[in-house]
Amino acid sequence: MNSQETQDLQPQETAPAGAHIVRFRVQTPRGLWSMTEPKDATKRPEYPVSTKIEQVILDVRSVFKFVEQDSKYTLLRGDEILEPQRTLASYKIEDHTLLVLSVQGGNA
Amino acid sequence: MSISAEVTFETLKRELPAAADYAAAAGLALDDASLTPQNLRLHLRLINAQGEIFHVEFDWADYPLYPPTVEFVSADHGERGTKRLYPQGFHPTPCICMRYNRKAYGERGGPHADWRLLDWRLPTGNGIAIDTLCLMISDLHSKVRQSNGRMT
Repeated sequence: MNSQETQDLQPQETAPAGAHIVRFRVQTPRGLWSMTEPKDATKRPEYPVSTKIEQVILDVRSVFKFVEQDSKYTLLRGDEILEPQRTLASYKIEDHTLLVLSVQGGNA
Repeated sequence: MSISAEVTFETLKRELPAAADYAAAAGLALDDASLTPQNLRLHLRLINAQGEIFHVEFDWADYPLYPPTVEFVSADHGERGTKRLYPQGFHPTPCICMRYNRKAYGERGGPHADWRLLDWRLPTGNGIAIDTLCLMISDLHSKVRQSNGRMT
C-alpha cells in the first residue's frame, strides 16, 4: 500500500461488519481533532481498533496540513509514545481518549 | 523598531487558550500567572526521558515582530542560560538553536549570523515553520522528552 492510498483510507470502507470502532480525540498544536472539530475536517478520528497508529498520524497531519516531511510527528497518550506500527487495540485506546500529536521542527 | 507591550500582550492572549489546551493535554505546566503588559514572560515546565525537570522562560518583548527570547532557567527563575539548566542535545553555547528563539541570532550574540530576525517565521532546516506559542511548546516538549541528562 503506498502512502497516498494509506492517506485516503476511510474507516467505513475498511472495517469488516461488526468491527469495533473507537472514536477519540487528538490535540494538535493547530487545534483539537474530534468528531465535531474542526468543523470543516474531511476526516474524523473514528477507526476500527485494528488500525495502526501510523494511519492516525497520517490522517491528523492531513486534517491540519502538517505537510512537511522533515518534521517529526509522534502520537502520545500522556507520557506514552504510541509506536506507529502498533494498532489502536494494542494500546487499548477507548472512546473519548485524548491523544496528543507532538510536532518537532527541523534542526539548525 | 519595536512593538508596544499592549499589542504584544493582546497577541499572546489570543494564542494562550490553544497553548493552554495543548500543554494540558500533553501534561505540561504552562504558567502565565504573572503575564501582564509590564511583564511579558511565560514559563513552561518540561520533563526529560529520565524524569528530570527543566524550566523554560519565554520573554515576549516585541512579539510578534520578533520572536521571543527562549531560555532554560532555574525553578525560581533567578538563574538563566547556564549549561546546567539545559538538557543534553541543545546547542552548547548554550542555546535553543531555532528561529523562534531570539537568542539564536548572530545580531543578539547567538550562533546564527546567517539568520535575520525579521525572517523568524521561516522553517528551521526543512521542517515545519514554528511560528506560534503552541508549536514552540510542542517542539520543545519533543526535544526535551527525548533527551537524557543535563548539558553539564
